[in-house]
Amino acid sequence: MIFQPAIIALLLSSLVCSGLLLAATPLAIDLIRHWDLGSGSERQLLRERRTYLLSTLLAFVFGTQLVALLLFVFNADRMASLFVGAMCAVGTLQVNAFGFPALLAQILVFFLAAVWLVINHVDTRAPDYPLLRIKYVLLLCLLPVLLAASLLQWRFFLALKADVITSCCGSLFSDATPGVTAELTAAPPLPMMLAFYLSLALASGCALLHRRWQRAGYLVALLSAAAFAVTMAAVLAFISLHVYEHPHHHCPFCVLKPDYSYQGYALYGPLFIGTAAGLGVGAVQAFASVPSLRSVVPAVAGKLAGLAASMFLVVAVVASLIVINSRLLLLEN
Amino acid sequence: MIELRQIHKTFNAGRENEFRALNGIDLHLPAERVTALRGPSGSGKTTLLSIIGCLARPTSGRVRLHERDISGLPERFLTEIRRCTFGFVFQQFNLISGLSASENVMLPAYPLGGDRRALLARAEQLLAGLRLAHRRTTRVELLSGGEQQRVAIARALINEPPVIIADEPTANLDTALAMEFMAIIEELAHTGRTVLLSSHDPLLVESSLVDRVIDMRDGRIVATAEPAGSGG
Repeated sequence: MIFQPAIIALLLSSLVCSGLLLAATPLAIDLIRHWDLGSGSERQLLRERRTYLLSTLLAFVFGTQLVALLLFVFNADRMASLFVGAMCAVGTLQVNAFGFPALLAQILVFFLAAVWLVINHVDTRAPDYPLLRIKYVLLLCLLPVLLAASLLQWRFFLALKADVITSCCGSLFSDATPGVTAELTAAPPLPMMLAFYLSLALASGCALLHRRWQRAGYLVALLSAAAFAVTMAAVLAFISLHVYEHPHHHCPFCVLKPDYSYQGYALYGPLFIGTAAGLGVGAVQAFASVPSLRSVVPAVAGKLAGLAASMFLVVAVVASLIVINSRLLLLEN
Repeated sequence: MIELRQIHKTFNAGRENEFRALNGIDLHLPAERVTALRGPSGSGKTTLLSIIGCLARPTSGRVRLHERDISGLPERFLTEIRRCTFGFVFQQFNLISGLSASENVMLPAYPLGGDRRALLARAEQLLAGLRLAHRRTTRVELLSGGEQQRVAIARALINEPPVIIADEPTANLDTALAMEFMAIIEELAHTGRTVLLSSHDPLLVESSLVDRVIDMRDGRIVATAEPAGSGG
């Protein structure tokens, strides 16, 4: 079952990334413990060269993880045809107990990797490695998450059995299934629509304000995270219904299928990028007072805030187009 | 201006062919002076010039430029310093064959992204100052040794660096051309530039042009002298 090009690519990528991270760990510990820019010792100069190599390697590792999420979801959707009862990615992810945990772990890795990449980017813009210790401590914190995500992915793919009868998205994302999804799918469309547009407007507005006046960076991150959560809820509550033109089909994965013109990618792509950029704005605020970063942080945060605002705007436009072009009428008048 | 503290440089460290090119160099190079490094082949002159000019990193020790540590800078900042602070004249000139004299002169300025017309005017002005105006469109491989060196000097000056580094600049020149080179360097020194030379040519090192001579052997400084009658 694992001999699928996408699965091989994902497993190899997780293997390479985990291997590189494990190999980097002793170096990271050495850098955290012994870094001393004032020293001209041979060991220190060696560390200076190593950190350059290490941060390049890690940027590659985390960059790979950003793409891996897209491939993971795309692959899960594509493999649905191989399992009895599967209609979309949900069916594939429900073939065994590791599917959804693997997806959630991959999403977590996506955002953590994005934040680390932003911090690393800021650090490399200063001549005196001001965030060196911080970024390697963060790396050590990220390591177990990434290893867990890799492990879950391996368990998921290795446990895929073609003779398993899986359940489709209709059973998971319906108002009859107890749980949070039922609450969301049963949510009335009008309040959800208002919450959706309000959250995007607040996140975009705050990001634009930050871009203009370099204020409220943490609020940008908070509102971006909130916009992400509300948008995902909105997908369940009303956006997906308009895509399928069906009042009871709430699946957030079927929107990725070719049958629906891959509209989900146009919605999720900007949403994930915008959220990651918004979180990045918040992540660098703590370093705005570092002397060598006084001009770097506002510049980087400004660009990220601009990206976040534009991406949230795209999400709002895409969702609006879906609703406008749908023949389903959830709201009278 | 430039300060070196305990500079060591080891090639192939830990291997059978390990070679210690520099062994604990401590040096202070004042601005607007002409300093010559003198020593036999293998004494570490070129390695030291490479480290000062940010072309190589020391194995240990620090290099400071205007009180700022530059030996530990990430590569992107080092490139900027190399580009704007140092002009290099190499022993073999290292000109790009197939390109004209003026194109060779302009090359180091391309990454800075300035206006091309202004750049061309500056290159031609430099070539004219070195009596090469009539050869500006000639491909460099067709120039004589002396002309090639003057093109190399013009190239070193295109970004208006405050420091000129010349490695064995008279090694491939006859006496007349060596004298011509020294006249050019003297002129540069008078414009307030710091000049660093490496040479074992007595004609150059013992000339009145040089303010300070540093003798090197086996990767160490063995003597420092300020010749009588030097400009400093």
